[in-house]
Amino acid sequence: MNIFILANEAAAESPLSFKLLPAISTVVVFTIALGTFMFVVWPKITQALDARDEKILSEIRAAEAAQAKAKAAQSEFEKRLEEARAAADDMIRKARSEADRQADELRARSQRELDDMRLRATQELESAKRTALAEIHAVAATLATSVAGKILKREIQPSDQKRLVDESLSEMTSR
Amino acid sequence: MQFLLASGNNPVSHVLDAPVRIGGMEPFSGLTLQVVTLFVGLIAFMAVLLYASKNISTGKESLGHRRYLSRGRIAQVIEVMCLYLRDEMLTPMMGKKDAHKFAGFLLTLFFLILSLNLIGMVPMQDMQLITGTWLEDAQLAVVGGTATANIAVNAVLAFSVFIVIQVHGFRQLGLKGWLEHLCGGHELVHGPKGLLLVVPIIFVVEVLGIIIKPAALCIRLFANMFGGHTLLATLLMFGGMTWAGTNSGLATAGVTLVSGVFAVLITFMELFVAFLQAFVFMFLSAVFISLMSHHEEEHEAHELDGATAAAH
Repeated sequence: MNIFILANEAAAESPLSFKLLPAISTVVVFTIALGTFMFVVWPKITQALDARDEKILSEIRAAEAAQAKAKAAQSEFEKRLEEARAAADDMIRKARSEADRQADELRARSQRELDDMRLRATQELESAKRTALAEIHAVAATLATSVAGKILKREIQPSDQKRLVDESLSEMTSR
Repeated sequence: MQFLLASGNNPVSHVLDAPVRIGGMEPFSGLTLQVVTLFVGLIAFMAVLLYASKNISTGKESLGHRRYLSRGRIAQVIEVMCLYLRDEMLTPMMGKKDAHKFAGFLLTLFFLILSLNLIGMVPMQDMQLITGTWLEDAQLAVVGGTATANIAVNAVLAFSVFIVIQVHGFRQLGLKGWLEHLCGGHELVHGPKGLLLVVPIIFVVEVLGIIIKPAALCIRLFANMFGGHTLLATLLMFGGMTWAGTNSGLATAGVTLVSGVFAVLITFMELFVAFLQAFVFMFLSAVFISLMSHHEEEHEAHELDGATAAAH
């Protein structure tokens, strides 16, 4: 029943009645709360948030710088790669050209040597032919003279022999 | 059943302030439960925010990158609240400079009112009645009630907003500008002479507005907290009323069960209202302060309409 008494006492008051003690207490409480928040809590929070923002911004800036650096390095690498490709192509082209030149030179030299050899062989052949013909002429003349001598029973001198051969050859040529 | 009977007598009695009683006596004359709760709320406010600020602040270098992170759930929740209120609510409304200037004051209001609203939701009086029965002190009441359901508490908080609004107004507009503001603004005072006829009307409205704006803050918070707790007490009263009317245990149990379920649901709504009213008080304070700034003055009516609509 005490609770009913308590409730009735309380119910007698108006909810809108203004009491001084709660008001003064609120002034004290709010002052302490405001002081605590503004001078202790809020500076710590804002400092931490600012530090975090700064950290995030610096990280983003660093990442952007690294990205730019990487892009520059990549473009430099690509440029060098292009240059290397061009140099390699140039080298291949030069090597190919040199190889062609050397091959042409070799071929020309071989051809020249071959021509020389052929010429020499022809000349040697001609010379041998001439020698052989001369020998044949000589042997034939000797043989013919000998045969004729035997036929004529007369010894033909070498000077006659030569004259006869030349005459015979002249006749053959004119014929 | 004692606390149900207590609320069953008069739901308002459960919400109104009552003197501190120990052993059937009032050891501290004039000291009431809501005053004690006010200080308990302050302790909770300080404990939570000091703990949170310590854990939000940048840690030791040995933690590496993790030193920039908030440590613990409470710190993270407080940080999210602070960031949202400062960057998403105050800055768009007041501008960065004013938002950062008044954030400390406005967030103090928000967190203090929130602490008092939430502390008020803990049924401390009822727990003391139960404990007091065991201790053979049926009237034991040391702490309890909702401090923001006390008009004096809210009036002081609203008065602090009034002071800030006027000081800011004087600093921003100067005496001449402030008086022009009361007369409807520079355009009206220096405009066509025919319009000067409405200046007295506007002056009266503006002077009343100076008082009405903080008074509205005070009464809105009081009405919401007082009304919500009265509603809860009324729901809990139904069981006692049924018992008084029928003397039937079965009927009492049935009604108590249904009203209890509704009381739980209303308690969740009250939890939401505790946050909402703290936010509305802070938000409207920010609106009223920003109305006294140079850049905001011309959009006064528009913003006030928008803010009032948001508050409702």
